[in-house]
Amino acid sequence: MSIIQAKGVKKWFGDFQALKGISMEIAEGEVLVICGPSGSGKSTFIRCINRLEQHQEGEIVVDGTELTNDLKNIETIRAEVGMVFQSFNLFPHLTVMQNITLAPIWVRKKSRSDSEEKAMELLNRVGIPEQADKFPGQLSGGQQQRVAIARALAMDPKIMLFDEPTSALDPEMIKEVLDAMKELAKSGMTMIVVTHEMGFAKEVADRVMLFDEGMMVEENTPVEFFDNPKNDRTKLFLSQIL
Amino acid sequence: MVDVIKKKAKEVQESLFSSVGSSVLTIGTSYLVLNFFRGMFGFVMSSDKDWLAVLNNMQLYMVQAYPESDFIRVWISVGLTFVFSGVSIGLWRSDDRSNISVMFDRFYKLGLGVLFFTIVAPTFTSYMGNDGYVITEEVFSRSSRIGMLIPVLLITVGFFLLKNRKINFSFNNSDAVFLYLSIPIALIWIIELPTIQLDQNKDRIIPDPLMPIANTTKVPWTVIFVLFLLSYFIGIYFKEVKRLKNIMSISWFLLPLLIFSWIFKKPQIEMAEVLTGDIPIFLIFFAVGLGTVLLINNPIVKKYYSIYIGVVIVATIAGVFISIPMLAKACLLLLGLFVTVVPAVSTSQQGKKSLIIIWAVALVTLTFLLRGGASETGIVVPGSSIFGGFSLTWLLAIFGTYVSFPLGVLLALGRNSKLPIVRIICTGIIELVRSVPYITWLFFASVTLAVFLPAGVEFNLIVRVLMVTAFFSGAYFAENIRGGLQSIPKGQYEAADAIGMSPFQKIGLIVLPQALRAVIPTLVSSAITAFKDSSLVTIIGLFDFLTIGKTVIDNQSVPVNFVGHQRENLIFVAVVYWIFTFTLSRRSMKIEKRLGLGER
Ligand SMILES: Nc1ncnc2c1ncn2[C@@H]1O[C@H](COP(=O)(O)OP(=O)(O)OP(=O)(O)O)[C@@H](O)[C@H]1O
Ligand SMILES: [Mg+2]
Repeated sequence: MSIIQAKGVKKWFGDFQALKGISMEIAEGEVLVICGPSGSGKSTFIRCINRLEQHQEGEIVVDGTELTNDLKNIETIRAEVGMVFQSFNLFPHLTVMQNITLAPIWVRKKSRSDSEEKAMELLNRVGIPEQADKFPGQLSGGQQQRVAIARALAMDPKIMLFDEPTSALDPEMIKEVLDAMKELAKSGMTMIVVTHEMGFAKEVADRVMLFDEGMMVEENTPVEFFDNPKNDRTKLFLSQIL
Repeated sequence: MVDVIKKKAKEVQESLFSSVGSSVLTIGTSYLVLNFFRGMFGFVMSSDKDWLAVLNNMQLYMVQAYPESDFIRVWISVGLTFVFSGVSIGLWRSDDRSNISVMFDRFYKLGLGVLFFTIVAPTFTSYMGNDGYVITEEVFSRSSRIGMLIPVLLITVGFFLLKNRKINFSFNNSDAVFLYLSIPIALIWIIELPTIQLDQNKDRIIPDPLMPIANTTKVPWTVIFVLFLLSYFIGIYFKEVKRLKNIMSISWFLLPLLIFSWIFKKPQIEMAEVLTGDIPIFLIFFAVGLGTVLLINNPIVKKYYSIYIGVVIVATIAGVFISIPMLAKACLLLLGLFVTVVPAVSTSQQGKKSLIIIWAVALVTLTFLLRGGASETGIVVPGSSIFGGFSLTWLLAIFGTYVSFPLGVLLALGRNSKLPIVRIICTGIIELVRSVPYITWLFFASVTLAVFLPAGVEFNLIVRVLMVTAFFSGAYFAENIRGGLQSIPKGQYEAADAIGMSPFQKIGLIVLPQALRAVIPTLVSSAITAFKDSSLVTIIGLFDFLTIGKTVIDNQSVPVNFVGHQRENLIFVAVVYWIFTFTLSRRSMKIEKRLGLGER
């Protein structure tokens, strides 16, 4: 049973069609990497999965719940789907610890002490337990992104979405974030990652997809995708970024 | 020791006499400042000035003609404010500590100030006498100068030595507030201010030093200080109880209303009316609310819930026009708000429980306030207004901030809302209120407002002024806050959505804290403006603090003649205003620093 099913998802921004019918499925524990040129609709698609954007046609079912305008469904799904943004989006007025415990306390209604214990565990997991009492502004980009990962994980999500998590980072910080993501992938988390880090795709992805102009033009295993792509568009894309 | 002085001297030389230009500037400015202070001291000390015009009118300044028999109400409201402050300071006490040398440094600087005064104060001063001749008199004799200089010098040097000694003792910054406050409290027991006595011919007798003016206030102030201190300890003791902080924050918003409707108004209550009116109305509405919360998850109720909301809204609108008790009208309005939030909040057992508690508290508060605020006041005052002076200024200032601030937040959020109706209404209110001068609004409050209120509803002039003031400063707050809201990046909203926060949580925990922090300086300057602008109420016949000093005392001839002593009073008023606004802006700087920690 697949945990996310999308069927013919279409999305317009005014007159402009950003998604032109995307269909895909992802199984539990699978790691999917999405790449493609700028403006091809990658962000739009994964933002549809937790309803930060609304699709207009087609259907998306996440863990058995269909995404509709029903507020209840949206809340259920957002609690199960964690998201990490390109620009971190940490809450600057809260400490790292408060950033991570905010949702467990207010959304999951857990006790403060339990949430803090869990948060320390997560900070250990992403390798920055000593930063718990600092404010986001006092951390490096790589550390901030790892806090953002911990914050998303604090809700015990079943699925994690990553939208270019490393593209706002200096090269020397990319590795620490990718390591945290690799560790997460190995632990069996279902992940959809939009990235141009091909090394990461080769190493951990179960499947790689290429988006172009709002369509999914190729879907393949990493080995096939890089060594033996089916589509000319993929060849062109790979030649440009590699 | 010598090193320290050498270092200081070098610092002074570097900062003030580094070049010819800066030396000239330093000397020129010093000359001007010195002369200014000499002039001021001469003015203050000249026998032409009657400072008793200020001292003897403290009561007038504070509460105007408020009847003495009801002073206990004023003291209770002042005391209540201090108790609230004490608990809050204790609850939110930070662990900031300072070394004892900081305190010595303060006393040292104070000593320097007094020293400056003793040295530069002029020996002679002159003023224009009644007959047109200039009169010169000795105001500060050599012997009294020396008599003052020596002890002050000793004390100052003492504190200077103490502050430069490394003493390993630190104190909590909040504790120090109480230490500093205890000084004026002790002083009112020690320093005896004279009060004026009249003889049979209504001529002034030399002030009798055995009749201190502070006599009537020293017991209440001391009691209040002790309560303040006690409540501070209570606050510290319960520091860890999170719920108490929430209760305290809400109570702060209710305090001005409570003071106004119960302490300043002295309501006349008919017990029969309460028994046949208030209590049944309260019980009925409580039952309706309770039923709504308990039955909401029943499928049949759920199905027809929108019809129920419609009925309540229609009843509310109808209630405004038909004649039912004021309390029932207000309760209907409250019920309308309540039933719209019930479905969203009552999803868990916990949510239901808090809903019921909120409903009960809201009803009790409403009943209480309406009984107090709407009933006739039992305070009889000669003249038109119930009270004036500093208490009026203070009430307008507190109200201008405590009520208009939340109003401003709501208006700002409404103006940013996605719902067109809400947006249009809020934008309309803000633009309308801002585009008309405050003075016009005051006239509106005093002359026209009654026309717009439902028949039978009548408010005291002060209440009407408070209403327009709340809206006026609320509109300004709203625009400031909106500026803050706009400074919040879209990513913050998305991040809050992505972790599953509800719209209310998103606004309350993520958006508002950041937006408000961004606009603290403008908010404080709005609050200061509101405080000072309150003196405009004089034009509609209310006697605020400034009016008392400028007009009332200057025209006072009974029992003591103070005609022509406006300047002393204006200086006094200016100093009081300055103390309050200065403290406020200093506080806000501290808060800014503390909140600024997480700034990028
Ligand atoms: N809120 C919006 N309003 C209008 N157009 C939008 C909006 N968001 C995205 N688009 C358009 O939709 C298209 C797809 O955008 P999207 O952000 O999904 O691209 P992307 O593949 O993530 O690109 P990149 O690699 O640059 O992030 C783009 O052409 C973009 O201009
Ligand atoms: Mg993108």
